[in-house]
Amino acid sequence: MTSTTTELKVSAFLAYKFIAKGNRGTTLLTILIMALAFVNLMFTTSVFDGMGDATEKQVIDTLYSNIVIEPADEEIYIKNPDSVVKKIINVPGVIGTSAQYVTGATIAYEEQSGAWSIRAVDPADERTVSLIPDMMIEGEYLGKYDTREIIIGTEIAGGHGGSLEHTSLGGVVVGDTLKVTFTNGVRREYRLKGIFDTNFIQANQLAYVTEKEMESVLGIQDMASQILVKTDTKGEEDRFLTQFVELGVHEDIKPWTVYAGIVATLTQSFDALNALTGAIGFFVAGVTIFIVIYVSTVSKRRQMGILRAIGIKESIIIRSYIFQAAFFAVCGCIAGLVIMFAILVPYFIKHPMVFPMGDVTLLIEQKAVITRSAGLIISAAIAGFLPSWRAVRETILDAIWGD
Amino acid sequence: MERAGQDTIIATRDLSRTYTMGKVQVQALKNVTLDIRRGEFAAIMGKSGSGKSTLLHQLGLLDTPTEGEITIDGVEISGLSDSESTRFRLEKFGYVFQEYAILPEMTALENVYLPAMALGLSQGECIRKGMDALEKVGLTERADHRPREMSGGEQQRVAIARALINKPKILFADEPTANLDSASSKQILELFRELNRDTGQTILMVTHELEDADLVDRVIWLADGAVMDREG
Repeated sequence: MTSTTTELKVSAFLAYKFIAKGNRGTTLLTILIMALAFVNLMFTTSVFDGMGDATEKQVIDTLYSNIVIEPADEEIYIKNPDSVVKKIINVPGVIGTSAQYVTGATIAYEEQSGAWSIRAVDPADERTVSLIPDMMIEGEYLGKYDTREIIIGTEIAGGHGGSLEHTSLGGVVVGDTLKVTFTNGVRREYRLKGIFDTNFIQANQLAYVTEKEMESVLGIQDMASQILVKTDTKGEEDRFLTQFVELGVHEDIKPWTVYAGIVATLTQSFDALNALTGAIGFFVAGVTIFIVIYVSTVSKRRQMGILRAIGIKESIIIRSYIFQAAFFAVCGCIAGLVIMFAILVPYFIKHPMVFPMGDVTLLIEQKAVITRSAGLIISAAIAGFLPSWRAVRETILDAIWGD
Repeated sequence: MERAGQDTIIATRDLSRTYTMGKVQVQALKNVTLDIRRGEFAAIMGKSGSGKSTLLHQLGLLDTPTEGEITIDGVEISGLSDSESTRFRLEKFGYVFQEYAILPEMTALENVYLPAMALGLSQGECIRKGMDALEKVGLTERADHRPREMSGGEQQRVAIARALINKPKILFADEPTANLDSASSKQILELFRELNRDTGQTILMVTHELEDADLVDRVIWLADGAVMDREG
């Protein structure tokens, strides 16, 4: 047996004995503290990841779908959007398209009014790219031939506890008549057909009319401000972009991420917060382990002196404490994961956190588990090394017979 | 450096140890020159503060002398590094301390075979040698017991078994019976005598019990840190 193997074996043996036959209460308490430190590290990350994930889903499901085709430079509209759709609709992975007009308008009800964005859609096509048709909380979604009917989000309607209640129409209900003034000066009255709630503040500030209605307002036909494209996977948008160009789509094609500045901003902010809370979490876990090992080395001071006296190398003793610290950390990570998956995740699925981007649950990503576990174990190993290294620096005589 | 005769296992020349306590210098050992023969059972005796334990610590490589030379088993030990000293202690020395210096988390057998494990022996060899050592001290039936389940005398016998497992050249014992009742003390001393007589084990023991002098081959009397010709 090589000397390194022998040393590792003796270190592991000492560590095992100290843990298995030591004070069980101290061992369990230390593991519990490590588990809570791990949960603390993972919880913040999981909330941030959950918020990012919820935001991404909302942006895709309610605002922009996966890919947005816009007019080429210096064009206001895409001409003959059907021809563009025909080019891409059979691309494997494309599962829906919706050509839309987008315009600004002032919407008024009695004394209340405000400026919002109105989208005009073919309701059947819109169902293939957006979940808004399934999010009606009052009234109904648009029908293909609807004219002079409008649906609006809760932030426009008001009365639903939205964040922008003060700028809303103050609580309109289905059947009310809304006065709409478009940017081209056309004024029309619309019957409020339905109100939707996406839980996403941005999508709840949208209004929808039918494509036919908007064409009569704008006095144009067979055009679109944008075409939303739904794909069966997220994250492969660039591949679709390349394919669309190869199929002769000359318009401006962009992935949803271009419109999701909020996600990038959130992610950057979360990364900074994550780093900060992570550093504090690792420090707290490290200090905890340091104290546990320090107390252990103080109480075993004489024992360590005797081990050294009978010929056990200092490195073996130090390593035995590092192994103990690593054991506490590994058990803490496992116990922490059990707490996360068995208690916290199910709880937050049942009681999600409500944020402006929607309902947020915990998202535990493998990468976060690996980095946080590794960080905790390394912190613990360092914290285990320091007091034991310090303890074996004193002379054998002081260790055995010192004050 | 081979210096002393073949029968000499420990040789010191002008060995001194001075401790600095604040501004005061205390000379615990003064120019100690002595030889211990291989297979000898020697006792270091003297009044409290005479330097008995200090001498044992220098010879057992637990402390470093201020001046002088120590040659053990032909090796001039002042040239050893810390890690070489540790290895030297593991391979050539066995220690029995005044207190029952065994680990409470381990069974008697595990306490005994720990030094063998540190030498790189397999688990099977460790257990076999550990049981042999426990048999020598008459504790085979207590192999799986932990220290708290044993009497002081039994714990001290476990410590002796641990000291013997690597077949040490020298067994150092620092007042091994000081904490024991008279019956247990007698058992321990008889065990030392047997080991010395049956296996030729070199034993160097610090004791303050005058009657122990009758059991050993030779008494090294110390007074004020110096070796005396006879009891001072």
